[in-house]
Amino acid sequence: MKKCLKCGIRTNIYIPQHRLALCPEHYINWFEARTQRTIEEFKMFQKTDRILVAVSGGKDSLSLWNVLVKLGYEADGLHINLGISEYSEISEIKTRNFAQRIGRKLHIVDLGRDFGRTIPQIKENERRPPCSFCGTLKRYYMNLYAREYGYNVLATAHNLDDEVSVLMLNTLSWNIEYLSRQFPVLPEENGFARKVKPFCKMSEKEAAMYAVLAQIDYIEDECPFAEGSTTLHYKKLISQLEEKSPGTKLRFYSEFLSKMYPVIKDRRPKTSINRCKSCGEPTQSEICMICRMRNNLLYGKLQTSTDKADNP
Amino acid sequence: MQVKEKIYVLYRGKKIEFEEEKMKVKEILKKLNLSGEYAFAVRNGEILDENQTVKAGDEIKIVNAISGG
Ligand code: SF4
Ligand SMILES: [Zn+2]
Ligand SMILES: [Zn+2]
Repeated sequence: MKKCLKCGIRTNIYIPQHRLALCPEHYINWFEARTQRTIEEFKMFQKTDRILVAVSGGKDSLSLWNVLVKLGYEADGLHINLGISEYSEISEIKTRNFAQRIGRKLHIVDLGRDFGRTIPQIKENERRPPCSFCGTLKRYYMNLYAREYGYNVLATAHNLDDEVSVLMLNTLSWNIEYLSRQFPVLPEENGFARKVKPFCKMSEKEAAMYAVLAQIDYIEDECPFAEGSTTLHYKKLISQLEEKSPGTKLRFYSEFLSKMYPVIKDRRPKTSINRCKSCGEPTQSEICMICRMRNNLLYGKLQTSTDKADNP
Repeated sequence: MQVKEKIYVLYRGKKIEFEEEKMKVKEILKKLNLSGEYAFAVRNGEILDENQTVKAGDEIKIVNAISGG
């Protein structure tokens, strides 16, 4: 059995990529301190900023919210109920309970009520896969709530495995445009709030262990639409590399940020941003994608073929 | 008559039983087609090492950290 590096007691908790054994108490401290270091490294935000955390009710987002509040940041939550049967019901309950536990404000968007259609209902009329329009809707409401309620930072719980799988995907196709946006902090611009990913250097397993040790009650079920996703496939592949040589994921990601990102960051296409004529949110078109989606759903109009992702 | 104890494994809302007297965490992960790189076992709130043994009568929970979407 290994011994905790800090206090010497026997422990099972070992992080191979950092060659680090820690007892539960010191693991929690380490995880929180590492998040703080990441926040500072990328100058994500400060104690004076007002942060809105996207919370799904899963282990990563509840852990992130917990860590930020414990570190003394002004962080409230935004939960979007997607209307995906039992999965969404349980997610909302767990998120509400957690908000109560930490005593922070929680905003709730109910897609069925606020957008007029749930994800399964939209799916019936959409050509795109659910995760595609689901992502668009989530980004839209996050930005909308940030502006309406005066938050200047949007935090999401994307972890190292999320970032590495996307990085791998974008690298395999040398998608310079996407790569040039893959940075854990994107400044406020064109009416979009600043976006940050404080868990970008924490692996999925590290976040899950934190959730267990900090006794966070999260939803364990996966969204039914996640099954068979490309991300999942890549994560499993990358995990095999990591198993053979621990530290591969962190190296691939960190070296990208320090060596490759500076070279390509100015390749971000400059786009002109308008205000949606219907809802006032930023968009590249006259009417934003969300309003177009809503119109299509409610009035059954044909979708235009020039649909473009609105949000950088 | 004595009821034979089993190893009880809770995994994503399902309860799975193993007839074995004892098993290593590693073996359980393997049976569930999971890797220790992203999954781990918890017994009474305590995280277990892959090489630890669980025995009949134990109830453990498997956490699979990987999520898609
Ligand atoms: S898996 Fe896809 S559909 Fe489900 S919540 Fe995530 S993005 Fe939305
Ligand atoms: Zn310790
Ligand atoms: Zn609009």
